[in-house]
Amino acid sequence: MLKVTDLKRHFKSGDSIVAAVDGVSLKIPDGQFVSIIGQSGSGKTSLLSLLGALDKPTSGSIEVDNQDITRVSGRELNRYRAKTVGFVFQSYNLVPNLTALENVMLPMEFLGLPKKLRLERARQLLEEVGLSADQMHRKPGKLSGGQQQRVAIARALANKPKYILADEPTGNLDSETGKLIFNLLHDLSKKEKTTIITVTHDLKIAGKTDTSFKLKDGKLAKGTDR
Amino acid sequence: MNWCSRGIRNAFRNLTRTFSLIIILGLSIGLSLAMFISHQAVTQKINNVKGSVDNTISIFPAGLRGFAGGGTPLTQSQLKSVSALPHVVQLNETLSDRLTSSDTNLQSAVSAGFLGRRFAGNGFGGNVKFTPPVTVNGTTSPTDLAVSAATTGGGSFSLLSGTVFSGTSNSNVALVGTGLASKNNLKVGSTFTAYGSNISVVGIFSSGTRFGDNQVVMPLLTLQRLSGETGDVTAATAYVDSVTNLASVTNKIKAVLGSAADITNSQQQAQNAISSLQSIQTISLYSLIGAVVAGAIIILMTMVMIVRERRREIGVIKAIGSSNLRISGQFMAEAVTLTIAASVIGILIGAVAANPITNMLVSNSNSSNSSAAANPGGGVFRQRRFSGAFGGLHHSFANIHAVVGYGIIGYGLLAAIIIALIGSSVSSYFIAKIRPAEVMRVE
Ligand SMILES: Nc1ncnc2c1ncn2[C@@H]1O[C@H](COP(=O)(O)OP(=O)(O)OP(=O)(O)O)[C@@H](O)[C@H]1O
Ligand SMILES: [Mg+2]
Repeated sequence: MLKVTDLKRHFKSGDSIVAAVDGVSLKIPDGQFVSIIGQSGSGKTSLLSLLGALDKPTSGSIEVDNQDITRVSGRELNRYRAKTVGFVFQSYNLVPNLTALENVMLPMEFLGLPKKLRLERARQLLEEVGLSADQMHRKPGKLSGGQQQRVAIARALANKPKYILADEPTGNLDSETGKLIFNLLHDLSKKEKTTIITVTHDLKIAGKTDTSFKLKDGKLAKGTDR
Repeated sequence: MNWCSRGIRNAFRNLTRTFSLIIILGLSIGLSLAMFISHQAVTQKINNVKGSVDNTISIFPAGLRGFAGGGTPLTQSQLKSVSALPHVVQLNETLSDRLTSSDTNLQSAVSAGFLGRRFAGNGFGGNVKFTPPVTVNGTTSPTDLAVSAATTGGGSFSLLSGTVFSGTSNSNVALVGTGLASKNNLKVGSTFTAYGSNISVVGIFSSGTRFGDNQVVMPLLTLQRLSGETGDVTAATAYVDSVTNLASVTNKIKAVLGSAADITNSQQQAQNAISSLQSIQTISLYSLIGAVVAGAIIILMTMVMIVRERRREIGVIKAIGSSNLRISGQFMAEAVTLTIAASVIGILIGAVAANPITNMLVSNSNSSNSSAAANPGGGVFRQRRFSGAFGGLHHSFANIHAVVGYGIIGYGLLAAIIIALIGSSVSSYFIAKIRPAEVMRVE
């Protein structure tokens, strides 16, 4: 269970203050597929950063199984990022000097998994997302956008996270590939019971998710439960 | 693949940059090493000069040099208080006399010739029958010919056969110069007469000059006894522990002996020799510091630049759960790899450049020194001493050799790695400042 209470993130921009997230409260049960929609600048990315503990809120709390992750720091914070959440970014964000395989092995290293296990699991994950053995040994620069995003999804799944946080994961892909990636995420959520929170502009996609939250000026406009 | 191997691999990520960095850093490391080596060489030379070359004080009875001039001899009891002075490590004493045919059965190995006849007392071209007397030196230090230089021309002692007597001996023994020995058919174990006593030959030596090889060297006490000059000394040399104490000890000896003695030292030449070496030492030290600082700045700036360039990548690694420490470790591994690669080049450059640089520094300073020495120095005597000292100086400079030892290379490598770690620790600060939330924004 993810419980967000009166979450605020205010940025200082010159003299004025931008309220990117401005009092959001929501609850997401485990295993759900959730979408966040809203106009550009409504605060979707800011909210996702807070959920993934990449950023600290100005106020409010985020409870994951009754632990407030806005208060953790140091080792625990690193562990939360490595173990509890997996990120999928719009611009893939793979490490350019590492092969697809090494990229997927990376988060497992942070948890101290032995090398043999890391290699085994990374290979298996990349097979699951549909990468060929040859592609696994390529660096991101030699993979297509869709292939890179598959690698990114495999990397997000590496440590079997409770949550996958995806910020417009199909934003840089054509609609056909986007659909494939989306279905991949959907299947995974059902199979692994992973909670998926994805930001999207695509209302068709949003329509297929269990829950959809709409943000407007940093506030929740309306929650649609299905 | 862990943080360390990632760092090593990243060092060769951009080959063009890696190559130019290794060259530039290698140059600065090479220069540091060359300067370190030349600093070592010069420092060692300074210690050598301080320790041995120019730390003597000459003591003569006032008005006397060798067999010229006149005055009253010094006594051993007077000199006892000199050897008791602090910083005086040794005091060598000699008594010189001349054996004429009435004193000895020895025949001089040097024929009078035109120059010798001048000394016979009848002016130029004088007494044709004159043969030069044989010089005899009583000494406390038979192998140190410099003490008796005023009478026998100095030179360096080398024993050809036999043994050397003790400086404190009082028996009728002698070392005979090789020229005198062959003229008189003397070997080790032969005897000759002097002052009406039998003297046995214990050794034959060579001094390097024909005049020096025509002398007899006896224990000081023996000569004092035989010649009836008990306690007398005609020349002494005090050895001071370090050239830095030369002036103060000279003044103390002057105070002790007063007007009875003429006391001179090699202070000025020693100081010249050392001060020019010291300026090289300073130059090489500053160059060393400069090169090390330059190297540190190069690696520091490079690492900061690389961190800025990989800002996004660092953010991503943080976002997926890496600690700052692990990322900093990765960048340190990269910096150390680059530095070691540069050190290999630097050590080659340093090893090749150390000797030429040392020689260049030394010969430059040497020529500036020679112009200083060429200034007119006063009387003829002074001039001669100066040029003699300068000859010695030349010799000492020529002997400076930079030595590249494995120890130095090891220290150099260690220093380079420490510089790399310090340099990359600054980049750790920048790494820590990168916010992972930034990677959410599309560039
Ligand atoms: N570091 C920052 N400093 C100042 N203002 C910021 C910062 N980051 C975001 N903002 C502002 O916060 C608001 C929300 O931004 P955010 O990126 O969350 O919007 P978004 O909903 O993801 O938009 P988009 O759909 O275009 O990606 C925007 O007005 C943005 O300008
Ligand atoms: Mg956004």
